[in-house]
Amino acid sequence: MNILIGTVVLAVLALWVWQKLETEANRSEAYAGVWRMIRMNLPRLVIALISAGLFAELLPEDTVRRYLGDTSGFQGVLLGSVLGVLTPGGAFVSFALAAGAMNAGATMPAMVAYLTSWALFAVTKVITEELAFLGPKFILKRVMVSWPIPLIAGGTALAFT
Amino acid sequence: MTQVPLQDDAESDPPLGRQTSFDSSFFILLVIACAAASAVAWTKGPTRVLEIALSYLGFLAVLSPKVLCGFFIAAAVPVLIPRETMIRWVGRESGNRGLFAATAAGALVPGGPMMIFPIAAGFRAAGASVAVLVAFVVSWSLLGLNRTVIWEMSFLQIDFVLLRVLICLPLPFLAGWAAARVLR
Repeated sequence: MNILIGTVVLAVLALWVWQKLETEANRSEAYAGVWRMIRMNLPRLVIALISAGLFAELLPEDTVRRYLGDTSGFQGVLLGSVLGVLTPGGAFVSFALAAGAMNAGATMPAMVAYLTSWALFAVTKVITEELAFLGPKFILKRVMVSWPIPLIAGGTALAFT
Repeated sequence: MTQVPLQDDAESDPPLGRQTSFDSSFFILLVIACAAASAVAWTKGPTRVLEIALSYLGFLAVLSPKVLCGFFIAAAVPVLIPRETMIRWVGRESGNRGLFAATAAGALVPGGPMMIFPIAAGFRAAGASVAVLVAFVVSWSLLGLNRTVIWEMSFLQIDFVLLRVLICLPLPFLAGWAAARVLR
Protein backbone atom coordinates (compact mmCIF):
# COMPACT_ATOMS: atom_id res chain seq x y z
CA MET A 1 0.00 0.00 0.00
CA ASN A 2 2.78 2.39 0.99
CA ILE A 3 4.63 1.46 -2.16
CA LEU A 4 1.57 2.24 -4.26
CA ILE A 5 1.08 5.64 -2.58
CA GLY A 6 4.73 6.50 -3.04
CA THR A 7 4.67 5.42 -6.67
CA VAL A 8 1.61 7.54 -7.43
CA VAL A 9 3.04 10.59 -5.63
CA LEU A 10 6.34 10.33 -7.49
CA ALA A 11 4.67 9.62 -10.83
CA VAL A 12 2.53 12.76 -10.51
CA LEU A 13 5.59 14.77 -9.47
CA ALA A 14 7.63 13.35 -12.35
CA LEU A 15 4.87 14.23 -14.80
CA TRP A 16 4.73 17.78 -13.47
CA VAL A 17 8.51 18.10 -13.74
CA TRP A 18 8.38 16.66 -17.28
CA GLN A 19 5.85 19.35 -18.18
CA LYS A 20 8.03 22.04 -16.62
CA LEU A 21 11.04 20.97 -18.67
CA GLU A 22 9.12 22.29 -21.70
CA THR A 23 11.65 21.80 -24.49
CA GLU A 24 12.79 18.55 -26.09
CA ALA A 25 16.41 19.54 -25.43
CA ASN A 26 15.77 19.87 -21.70
CA ARG A 27 13.94 16.59 -21.60
CA SER A 28 16.64 14.64 -23.38
CA GLU A 29 19.19 16.14 -20.99
CA ALA A 30 17.11 14.78 -18.11
CA TYR A 31 16.78 11.37 -19.82
CA ALA A 32 20.54 11.25 -20.21
CA GLY A 33 20.82 11.96 -16.48
CA VAL A 34 18.40 9.14 -15.69
CA TRP A 35 20.40 6.73 -17.83
CA ARG A 36 23.63 7.78 -16.09
CA MET A 37 22.01 7.21 -12.68
CA ILE A 38 20.74 3.78 -13.69
CA ARG A 39 24.19 2.78 -14.92
CA MET A 40 25.87 4.04 -11.77
CA ASN A 41 23.35 2.84 -9.23
CA LEU A 42 21.73 -0.36 -10.48
CA PRO A 43 24.62 -2.74 -9.63
CA ARG A 44 24.93 -1.11 -6.21
CA LEU A 45 21.17 -1.19 -5.69
CA VAL A 46 20.91 -4.91 -6.43
CA ILE A 47 23.81 -5.89 -4.18
CA ALA A 48 22.77 -3.60 -1.33
CA LEU A 49 19.15 -4.71 -1.39
CA ILE A 50 20.06 -8.40 -1.32
CA SER A 51 22.54 -7.90 1.51
CA ALA A 52 19.91 -5.91 3.41
CA GLY A 53 17.64 -8.96 3.14
CA LEU A 54 20.44 -11.26 4.27
CA PHE A 55 21.23 -9.04 7.26
CA ALA A 56 17.57 -8.94 8.27
CA GLU A 57 17.62 -12.75 8.21
CA LEU A 58 20.68 -12.81 10.45
CA LEU A 59 19.20 -10.56 13.17
CA PRO A 60 19.18 -12.57 16.39
CA GLU A 61 15.56 -12.29 17.53
CA ASP A 62 16.13 -12.98 21.22
CA THR A 63 18.87 -10.39 21.46
CA VAL A 64 16.82 -7.82 19.56
CA ARG A 65 13.83 -8.33 21.85
CA ARG A 66 15.96 -8.20 24.95
CA TYR A 67 17.92 -5.02 24.17
CA LEU A 68 15.57 -3.12 21.85
CA GLY A 69 12.18 -4.56 22.87
CA ASP A 70 9.32 -3.32 25.03
CA THR A 71 11.23 -3.28 28.29
CA SER A 72 14.28 -1.52 26.88
CA GLY A 73 12.97 2.05 27.30
CA PHE A 74 15.56 4.79 26.98
CA GLN A 75 18.37 2.24 26.94
CA GLY A 76 16.92 0.90 23.70
CA VAL A 77 16.97 4.46 22.34
CA LEU A 78 20.61 4.78 23.42
CA LEU A 79 21.57 1.46 21.82
CA GLY A 80 19.67 2.32 18.62
CA SER A 81 21.61 5.58 18.39
CA VAL A 82 24.94 3.75 18.66
CA LEU A 83 23.95 1.07 16.12
CA GLY A 84 22.87 3.76 13.63
CA VAL A 85 26.37 5.22 13.52
CA LEU A 86 27.82 1.80 12.74
CA THR A 87 25.42 0.75 9.97
CA PRO A 88 27.01 1.11 6.53
CA GLY A 89 25.54 1.35 3.10
CA GLY A 90 23.04 3.04 0.87
CA ALA A 91 19.65 4.47 1.62
CA PHE A 92 17.80 1.27 2.28
CA VAL A 93 20.11 -1.03 4.24
CA SER A 94 19.15 0.72 7.47
CA PHE A 95 15.44 0.77 6.57
CA ALA A 96 15.46 -2.97 5.82
CA LEU A 97 17.28 -3.65 9.07
CA ALA A 98 14.87 -1.46 11.06
CA ALA A 99 11.90 -3.27 9.51
CA GLY A 100 13.49 -6.63 10.34
CA ALA A 101 14.23 -5.54 13.90
CA MET A 102 10.67 -4.31 14.41
CA ASN A 103 9.36 -7.67 13.20
CA ALA A 104 11.62 -9.27 15.79
CA GLY A 105 10.15 -7.06 18.53
CA ALA A 106 12.19 -3.83 18.55
CA THR A 107 10.22 -0.78 19.69
CA MET A 108 9.31 2.25 17.58
CA PRO A 109 11.32 4.74 19.70
CA ALA A 110 14.46 2.61 19.49
CA MET A 111 14.10 2.45 15.71
CA VAL A 112 13.38 6.19 15.42
CA ALA A 113 16.66 6.74 17.26
CA TYR A 114 18.42 4.17 15.08
CA LEU A 115 17.30 5.65 11.76
CA THR A 116 17.87 9.24 12.88
CA SER A 117 21.36 8.40 14.06
CA TRP A 118 22.14 6.50 10.88
CA ALA A 119 20.87 9.37 8.72
CA LEU A 120 23.01 11.90 10.57
CA PHE A 121 26.16 10.03 11.49
CA ALA A 122 26.59 6.77 9.49
CA VAL A 123 30.38 6.53 9.56
CA THR A 124 30.77 5.39 5.94
CA LYS A 125 28.81 8.37 4.59
CA VAL A 126 30.57 10.89 6.82
CA ILE A 127 34.01 9.60 5.91
CA THR A 128 33.55 9.07 2.18
CA GLU A 129 31.48 12.10 1.22
CA GLU A 130 31.07 14.71 3.92
CA LEU A 131 34.78 14.71 4.76
CA ALA A 132 35.72 15.05 1.10
CA PHE A 133 33.45 18.00 0.37
CA LEU A 134 33.10 19.87 3.64
CA GLY A 135 36.23 18.96 5.63
CA PRO A 136 36.93 17.82 9.21
CA LYS A 137 36.34 21.22 10.84
CA PHE A 138 32.80 21.42 9.56
CA ILE A 139 32.08 17.81 10.54
CA LEU A 140 33.29 18.52 14.07
CA LYS A 141 31.02 21.57 14.35
CA ARG A 142 28.04 19.74 12.91
CA VAL A 143 28.51 16.81 15.27
CA MET A 144 28.88 19.20 18.22
CA VAL A 145 25.39 20.62 17.67
CA SER A 146 23.59 17.58 16.26
CA TRP A 147 24.77 14.67 18.42
CA PRO A 148 21.75 14.84 20.80
CA ILE A 149 19.24 14.64 17.93
CA PRO A 150 18.80 10.82 17.88
CA LEU A 151 18.31 10.85 21.66
CA ILE A 152 15.81 13.74 21.44
CA ALA A 153 13.91 12.10 18.57
CA GLY A 154 13.89 8.66 20.22
CA GLY A 155 13.00 10.17 23.61
CA THR A 156 10.11 12.13 22.08
CA ALA A 157 8.84 8.96 20.39
CA LEU A 158 9.09 7.23 23.77
CA ALA A 159 6.84 9.91 25.28
CA PHE A 160 4.30 9.47 22.46
CA THR A 161 3.98 5.69 22.61
CA MET B 1 22.90 41.99 -8.59
CA THR B 2 26.53 41.14 -8.27
CA GLN B 3 27.79 37.77 -9.33
CA VAL B 4 29.01 35.53 -6.58
CA PRO B 5 32.16 33.78 -7.70
CA LEU B 6 31.81 30.06 -7.26
CA GLN B 7 34.80 27.85 -6.88
CA ASP B 8 33.41 24.66 -8.26
CA ASP B 9 32.17 24.49 -11.81
CA ALA B 10 29.89 21.90 -13.31
CA GLU B 11 32.72 20.46 -15.36
CA SER B 12 34.87 19.30 -12.49
CA ASP B 13 31.95 18.34 -10.31
CA PRO B 14 29.21 16.45 -12.10
CA PRO B 15 25.85 17.25 -10.50
CA LEU B 16 24.42 13.81 -10.99
CA GLY B 17 26.58 11.87 -8.62
CA ARG B 18 29.10 9.12 -9.05
CA GLN B 19 30.77 8.73 -12.39
CA THR B 20 32.07 5.18 -12.01
CA SER B 21 29.84 2.26 -11.14
CA PHE B 22 32.55 -0.12 -9.97
CA ASP B 23 34.72 1.88 -7.60
CA SER B 24 36.16 0.75 -4.28
CA SER B 25 32.93 1.40 -2.34
CA PHE B 26 31.16 -1.00 -4.69
CA PHE B 27 33.65 -3.74 -3.92
CA ILE B 28 33.38 -3.10 -0.19
CA LEU B 29 29.63 -3.56 -0.57
CA LEU B 30 30.24 -6.77 -2.52
CA VAL B 31 32.52 -8.15 0.21
CA ILE B 32 29.90 -7.33 2.86
CA ALA B 33 27.21 -9.03 0.76
CA CYS B 34 29.33 -12.15 0.31
CA ALA B 35 30.02 -12.32 4.05
CA ALA B 36 26.30 -12.01 4.81
CA ALA B 37 25.49 -14.65 2.18
CA SER B 38 28.03 -17.05 3.68
CA ALA B 39 26.63 -16.49 7.17
CA VAL B 40 23.07 -17.18 6.04
CA ALA B 41 24.19 -20.22 4.01
CA TRP B 42 26.06 -21.52 7.07
CA THR B 43 23.17 -21.10 9.51
CA LYS B 44 20.10 -21.66 7.33
CA GLY B 45 21.36 -23.43 4.22
CA PRO B 46 22.29 -22.18 0.74
CA THR B 47 18.72 -22.41 -0.60
CA ARG B 48 17.67 -19.76 1.93
CA VAL B 49 20.25 -17.39 0.39
CA LEU B 50 18.72 -17.97 -3.03
CA GLU B 51 15.19 -17.45 -1.66
CA ILE B 52 16.15 -14.15 -0.07
CA ALA B 53 18.02 -12.96 -3.16
CA LEU B 54 15.05 -13.78 -5.40
CA SER B 55 12.47 -12.22 -3.12
CA TYR B 56 14.47 -9.00 -2.82
CA LEU B 57 15.00 -8.88 -6.60
CA GLY B 58 11.24 -9.21 -6.91
CA PHE B 59 10.89 -6.39 -4.40
CA LEU B 60 13.23 -4.26 -6.52
CA ALA B 61 11.05 -4.98 -9.55
CA VAL B 62 7.99 -3.78 -7.61
CA LEU B 63 9.87 -0.65 -6.56
CA SER B 64 11.34 0.05 -9.98
CA PRO B 65 8.60 2.41 -11.29
CA LYS B 66 9.00 4.49 -8.14
CA VAL B 67 12.79 4.44 -8.35
CA LEU B 68 12.69 5.45 -12.02
CA CYS B 69 10.36 8.38 -11.27
CA GLY B 70 12.70 9.40 -8.46
CA PHE B 71 15.69 9.24 -10.79
CA PHE B 72 13.86 11.32 -13.36
CA ILE B 73 13.00 14.01 -10.82
CA ALA B 74 16.56 14.00 -9.51
CA ALA B 75 17.91 14.33 -13.05
CA ALA B 76 15.44 17.06 -14.04
CA VAL B 77 15.90 19.38 -11.06
CA PRO B 78 19.48 20.38 -12.03
CA VAL B 79 18.20 21.14 -15.54
CA LEU B 80 15.30 23.24 -14.23
CA ILE B 81 17.21 24.99 -11.46
CA PRO B 82 20.89 25.35 -12.27
CA ARG B 83 23.03 24.65 -9.26
CA GLU B 84 24.45 28.17 -9.35
CA THR B 85 20.95 29.64 -9.01
CA MET B 86 20.10 27.46 -6.03
CA ILE B 87 23.43 28.21 -4.40
CA ARG B 88 22.79 31.92 -4.76
CA TRP B 89 19.29 31.57 -3.24
CA VAL B 90 20.43 29.79 -0.12
CA GLY B 91 24.04 30.94 0.13
CA ARG B 92 23.11 34.62 0.29
CA GLU B 93 20.48 34.25 2.99
CA SER B 94 21.43 34.62 6.60
CA GLY B 95 19.76 34.58 10.02
CA ASN B 96 16.46 32.77 10.45
CA ARG B 97 15.56 33.23 6.79
CA GLY B 98 18.75 31.42 5.86
CA LEU B 99 17.93 28.58 8.24
CA PHE B 100 14.45 28.20 6.76
CA ALA B 101 15.76 28.29 3.20
CA ALA B 102 18.44 25.71 4.05
CA THR B 103 15.90 23.44 5.77
CA ALA B 104 13.55 23.64 2.78
CA ALA B 105 16.39 23.01 0.31
CA GLY B 106 17.64 20.03 2.33
CA ALA B 107 14.20 18.43 2.36
CA LEU B 108 13.39 19.10 -1.30
CA VAL B 109 16.63 18.74 -3.27
CA PRO B 110 16.62 15.17 -4.58
CA GLY B 111 19.71 13.00 -4.59
CA GLY B 112 22.21 11.12 -2.48
CA PRO B 113 25.35 12.26 -0.68
CA MET B 114 27.30 12.65 -3.93
CA MET B 115 24.84 15.31 -4.96
CA ILE B 116 24.14 16.96 -1.61
CA PHE B 117 27.62 17.54 -0.25
CA PRO B 118 28.92 19.26 -3.41
CA ILE B 119 25.89 21.57 -3.21
CA ALA B 120 26.70 22.27 0.44
CA ALA B 121 30.27 23.08 -0.56
CA GLY B 122 28.80 25.45 -3.15
CA PHE B 123 26.69 27.15 -0.45
CA ARG B 124 29.82 27.68 1.56
CA ALA B 125 31.69 29.11 -1.42
CA ALA B 126 28.77 31.51 -1.92
CA GLY B 127 29.16 32.77 1.64
CA ALA B 128 26.72 30.66 3.67
CA SER B 129 27.40 30.49 7.41
CA VAL B 130 28.18 27.29 9.31
CA ALA B 131 24.67 27.49 10.81
CA VAL B 132 23.06 27.48 7.36
CA LEU B 133 25.24 24.56 6.28
CA VAL B 134 24.38 22.61 9.43
CA ALA B 135 20.65 23.19 8.87
CA PHE B 136 21.00 22.05 5.24
CA VAL B 137 22.93 18.85 5.96
CA VAL B 138 20.76 17.92 8.97
CA SER B 139 17.59 18.65 7.00
CA TRP B 140 18.68 16.47 4.08
CA SER B 141 19.63 13.70 6.53
CA LEU B 142 16.37 13.77 8.48
CA LEU B 143 13.74 15.06 6.06
CA GLY B 144 15.04 14.31 2.53
CA LEU B 145 11.78 13.74 0.71
CA ASN B 146 13.14 11.58 -2.10
CA ARG B 147 14.66 9.03 0.26
CA THR B 148 11.62 8.94 2.53
CA VAL B 149 9.16 8.42 -0.32
CA ILE B 150 11.28 5.95 -2.32
CA TRP B 151 12.90 3.87 0.40
CA GLU B 152 11.60 4.52 3.92
CA MET B 153 7.95 4.16 2.95
CA SER B 154 8.78 0.95 1.06
CA PHE B 155 10.17 -0.81 4.10
CA LEU B 156 8.32 0.69 7.06
CA GLN B 157 4.73 1.31 8.12
CA ILE B 158 3.21 4.67 7.29
CA ASP B 159 2.43 5.55 10.93
CA PHE B 160 6.07 4.94 11.85
CA VAL B 161 7.30 7.13 8.98
CA LEU B 162 4.84 9.91 9.85
CA LEU B 163 5.78 9.85 13.54
CA ARG B 164 9.49 9.99 12.72
CA VAL B 165 9.11 12.83 10.21
CA LEU B 166 6.84 14.80 12.56
CA ILE B 167 9.33 14.50 15.42
CA CYS B 168 12.25 15.45 13.16
CA LEU B 169 10.50 18.41 11.50
CA PRO B 170 11.81 21.18 13.81
CA LEU B 171 15.23 19.65 14.43
CA PRO B 172 17.22 20.94 11.39
CA PHE B 173 16.20 24.52 12.19
CA LEU B 174 17.06 24.01 15.88
CA ALA B 175 20.44 22.48 15.00
CA GLY B 176 21.23 25.47 12.78
CA TRP B 177 20.00 27.85 15.47
CA ALA B 178 22.21 26.13 18.03
CA ALA B 179 25.16 26.29 15.65
CA ALA B 180 24.67 30.04 15.22
CA ARG B 181 24.77 30.55 18.99
CA VAL B 182 27.25 27.98 20.21
CA LEU B 183 29.89 28.13 17.49
CA ARG B 184 32.39 30.87 16.73
